[in-house]
Parts: sequence; structure tokens; C-alpha cells
Amino acid sequence: MTTVSRETIEKGLDILRELNNSKFITHVNSCVHCGLCGESCMYYLANREPKNLPAYKVELISSLYRKYFTFIGKHVPDLVRAKELDDKMIEEMVDVFFGRCTMCGRCNFHCSIGVDIAYLTKVGRIMLTEMGYTPANLQSTVDAAIKTGNNMAITTEEFVDTLNWLEEDLQDDLNDPNAKIHVNEQGKELMYTLNPREPKFFPLSISAMAKVFYAAKESWTLSTKMYDVTNYAFFSGNSKEAQIIAQRMVDEVKSLGIKRLILAECGHGDRAFRWEAPNFLSQKFDFDVITSVELLAEYIRTEKIKVTTENITDLVTLHDPCNLSRNGGIFEEQRFILKNTVKNFVEMNPCGINNLCCGGGGGQLAMSEYNERRMSIGKLKADQIRNTGAKIVVTPCHNCVDQLLQLNSAYKLNVQIKTLAEIVADALILEN
Amino acid sequence: MAWYFYLIYISMLFCIVVSLYHLVRIIRLGNAKDYSKPAGDVKAAVKYSMTVAMSPTKKESAYLHLPTYAAGILYHIGTFVSFLLLVLFILEIEFPNILNILLSVFLSITTICGVSILIKRMFSKDLKLISNPDDYISNILVTAFQLVTVLHLINSGYILFIFASVLFLYIPFGKLKHFIYFFAARYQLGLFFGHRGTWPVKNK
Repeated sequence: MTTVSRETIEKGLDILRELNNSKFITHVNSCVHCGLCGESCMYYLANREPKNLPAYKVELISSLYRKYFTFIGKHVPDLVRAKELDDKMIEEMVDVFFGRCTMCGRCNFHCSIGVDIAYLTKVGRIMLTEMGYTPANLQSTVDAAIKTGNNMAITTEEFVDTLNWLEEDLQDDLNDPNAKIHVNEQGKELMYTLNPREPKFFPLSISAMAKVFYAAKESWTLSTKMYDVTNYAFFSGNSKEAQIIAQRMVDEVKSLGIKRLILAECGHGDRAFRWEAPNFLSQKFDFDVITSVELLAEYIRTEKIKVTTENITDLVTLHDPCNLSRNGGIFEEQRFILKNTVKNFVEMNPCGINNLCCGGGGGQLAMSEYNERRMSIGKLKADQIRNTGAKIVVTPCHNCVDQLLQLNSAYKLNVQIKTLAEIVADALILEN
Repeated sequence: MAWYFYLIYISMLFCIVVSLYHLVRIIRLGNAKDYSKPAGDVKAAVKYSMTVAMSPTKKESAYLHLPTYAAGILYHIGTFVSFLLLVLFILEIEFPNILNILLSVFLSITTICGVSILIKRMFSKDLKLISNPDDYISNILVTAFQLVTVLHLINSGYILFIFASVLFLYIPFGKLKHFIYFFAARYQLGLFFGHRGTWPVKNK
């Protein structure tokens, strides 16, 4: 006997009803339960729990679909193990979809059929959020973004103060009183965004990018009104809140008359705005959207900035954020940048679009409910890093930086974690 | 015409009609419009998804599980060969004895592959969690279909036609309909990764 109200259950099932498109119907019907996907999932590799099998995630959604939307599932449910959406099922879905998956999509590549397992996990999260079962800490991150304009609830005064002292530091560093961190300037070529972790915990990454812009003589600005590239509503599966966050960014780009929006080094932020936001908002953007990784590569390729490999001689490795590489198609640019900025580079194994997630993706860093699991699956990434022998780990994602810093400490890796902007800034050859 | 020919024609027609319903449905439903600016070549990615991305060197589900993968491939080939033979039997085409022997040996091997997959499903803790009765029934039906084909090659009768009729009636309802959804899933995956420029993989 379920204690969940009929109305709540219907809200969840409405999501499945509304998803009556080819993509959903295909993937929800395709799994053959071969179980060969296990080794492609970090959660399964970390502890071999059957519940961590990607196929189990598919099965949860598929069993509901069969129960409510197929002839056999409705009339002979035991034959296909069609399941009711009740409190036991909801509890299981919360644990599996939020707590046992980063939606990294690695299993999609390796599935013997080609089921988009990460997509079905997302569908599960959308259902749970619609029914009111979003993990509290993830929802509070979204709430902070909705209420304050950034997910860390940084006040405008605090943000402006940080930018002011960073600008002073930049001027000292460059020995140029005209070096500026441009704020809220109209009609600039590009607007740069940030992950709020930068002003809050890693302000030097803002300085690094400002230094690169200075070297490139770029026409750029930051906005104090909307600078947060992240969109955690994408992870919670709340499309209405995701729309609000995305629309604010679009409005700010238009209000400042910007031609190009540069998405900061944030895997999910890049994905959420570049690939998902046009669909949240049902609109094609009339301005260019590129990631800072592409911009840095463009600067080097067009010789807008000059860099050297002589400044960074320690062995460097690269962690590819899943949302940027596998789910965003950007995996050559970061290698091109490192080839031009560091002397010794070594790949992790596996790497590129096949890379293992750091364990902090999919909103895991915002869900302290699953901290222990997150750190335990992160051991795989820690081992990958240790095996390279690198002293510096570069990753173009502040979310990954956060997870890698925690892994660095927990697994005693003794490495430095850096963003690409920091590497490029250190490798710059500045003209007098 | 013998009664079992009517049976097989009716069940085959039923299977084709219901399978076509699945196919037409996913085509007619279409995809949600994607407003994001594409970064890659979708057509090339779909082709990549249907070819290179499926090669055993690209999929961990293949190269980390070679015995299961090999058994699975042989099992599927055995299934297709059995269906082809069924059509030839319906057309009352006879084979030379040597071909009969070769086909019998091959289908015996593929039957063993089917049995091995079934045994794995029955005893693996992981597989038991994700399996339902349909998985077992589908496996048993297809494996038995291959075995009965072998028996028909040795001594023809009408058992194969009855068996094939049951199989045809079952195909559109359970996991066996993946013979349609498999291609749709590969297409969808190519569409997704192609739009984003991840596939086809150039250098990596």
C-alpha cells in the first residue's frame, strides 16, 4: 500500500506521457539486459554492487513505462516485471538516479545496444523533481541561483569588492595601471561568465583569464548582474527553474549588446547553456556561444596571444570533464592548448571522450547526502592520476577542480590542480 | 497446403504487422526539435554509430567480455541463419547433404552459445537483478528455435513450423523486438553525439 498520493504519482507519470517522442520510446524499449555495461560505470567499478549497473537504471524507468504504457505491462505485468510507481519505487529511484549516477554518459558509448542511459537517468530525475523528491542540498543550490542570481549566493557588493582587488593585483602583476577587469560595459565583443566558485574560492582563476584577455587585447566584460554559468536545475531536472536561469543569461547578453558569450571553464555550465538552454527556452540564440577552452585555443591558433612551453616544465596531465568532452564534443582544443603551453604532457588512461568521470559531476558535489559514495568512486580517478606520475592536473571545469582537490587530499596525490586559463596565463609571453 | 503452413503464414504476418507498427510509430513520433547550434556532421555520426562505434575495439561491452560477446554474436548469426532456413524450408528448397551437415554443426554451436547465455543469466547475481521472465522466455524460445532447426535439417517434419509460429507470435511483445529498437537506438545515439560534434571521432 503506497502512502504517496495519486496526484503525486500522476505528476511523475505525466512526465513519461509528455515524453512521447522517438528518442524516449526508442531508448526505453531497447535494453536487452545483457549487463555488459557494468565495467563502463565508475559506480559499478568502485564496488560491484548490482544496483550500480547502468542497466539497472534503465530498468527502473523501463519497468514503469511497461506498467503504465504497454499492453503486456498492463495485463501481464509479471512477465516483463512491470512495476508500480509507489513509495518503495520512488525511494529506489531517488537513491539510484541521484545517488548512483553522474550522468557522465560513458555507459552510452559502451552499451552493446546503444541505449542513452544518461538520458533515461535524467528522465528519472525529472520525474522525481516533478513529484517533489529532489535531494534537499541540490534544491538549495538551485534556490540560491534563483533567488540571488548565483548558486553561491554571493552578494553584488562582495563580488564587486573581489573584482576590485583582483584588478589592483592584475595591474601590479602586469605593471600597467590601465589593465582592467571590465564590468557591465556595453557593446563589448564578448561577455565572460564565471563559475561562482571562482569569486568565492578561486579568484586567481579570474585574474588568469583577465591576464589572457589583456594579452589578447580583447574587448570584453563581465556582468555583475548575471555571471553564473552554472545551471543546477539541469541536474535536478526542473526545466522551469532551468529556463529562468538560462533566460537571465540571454537577457544580460542582449542588454549589454554582446556579440559572443564565453562560457567559463565549467563542464555542466557549458553543456547547460550551449546545448540545453536553447531547448529549455525553445529559441535559437542570435549571438555566438563558445567555451573559454575554444577561445583560448583560438587565441593561440591565430597568434592573438604568444605562449611558451618553457615556463611549465613539470609533468602535466589532463582530466576531461564529461560534459565538455563526451557530451560537448570538445576534446581536441584542450590538448592543442597544452601542447603549446607545457613542456611535458601525459595522457590519462582512458582519456578524451572515453575518460572516467571525476565523480563530482551530475550535481554530486551539491548533494552532501552522497559524499561518502562520491569520494569512494573518486578513487578510480585518483588512481588514474597517480598512474600518470604527473605533478599538475589540468581540468577545464571548476566543478571537477573541486572534486579533484578533495581527491588530492583524501588519496594523498600531492599534485597541483589547475584550470586551463591558469596554465595559459603562466605560459604567456607578454609584449612590452 | 499443409495446415502448419497456414499457421506459419498467419503468425509471420502478425509478427510483421506488429513489428511494423513499432517501426512506423518511432518514425512518426519524430524527435523533439533541437534549437542548439549543431557542432558536427549528424549524417556522418549516424553512419559512425552504425559502423565503427559498434566495432569490438570501441566497446567495452565487447572487448572486456570477449567470451560473452563472441557467444552473443554467434547466437545472433545462428538466429538469422535459422530464419533464412525457415524461409527456404517453407519454399521447400532442399540442400545437398554436406551443406545440411555443415549447417547442423554450425547451428549446434550457436545453440550451445544460446544455452551458455541462459546459464549466465540464471546464475549471475547482477543479471538476476535486471532480468525478468521475458528475458528467460526469449532466450529459451530463440535457442530452442535454433535447436529445432538442426533437428529439421536432420529429419524434416512440422515441429519447426509450429515452433517458429510461437516465436513469431512472441517477438513483437517482449525483448525480441529489439531487432527494431537496436537500429533506432544506434540512430538516436549518432544523432545526439553527431549534433554535438563528439562523433565521428577523428583523432581519438
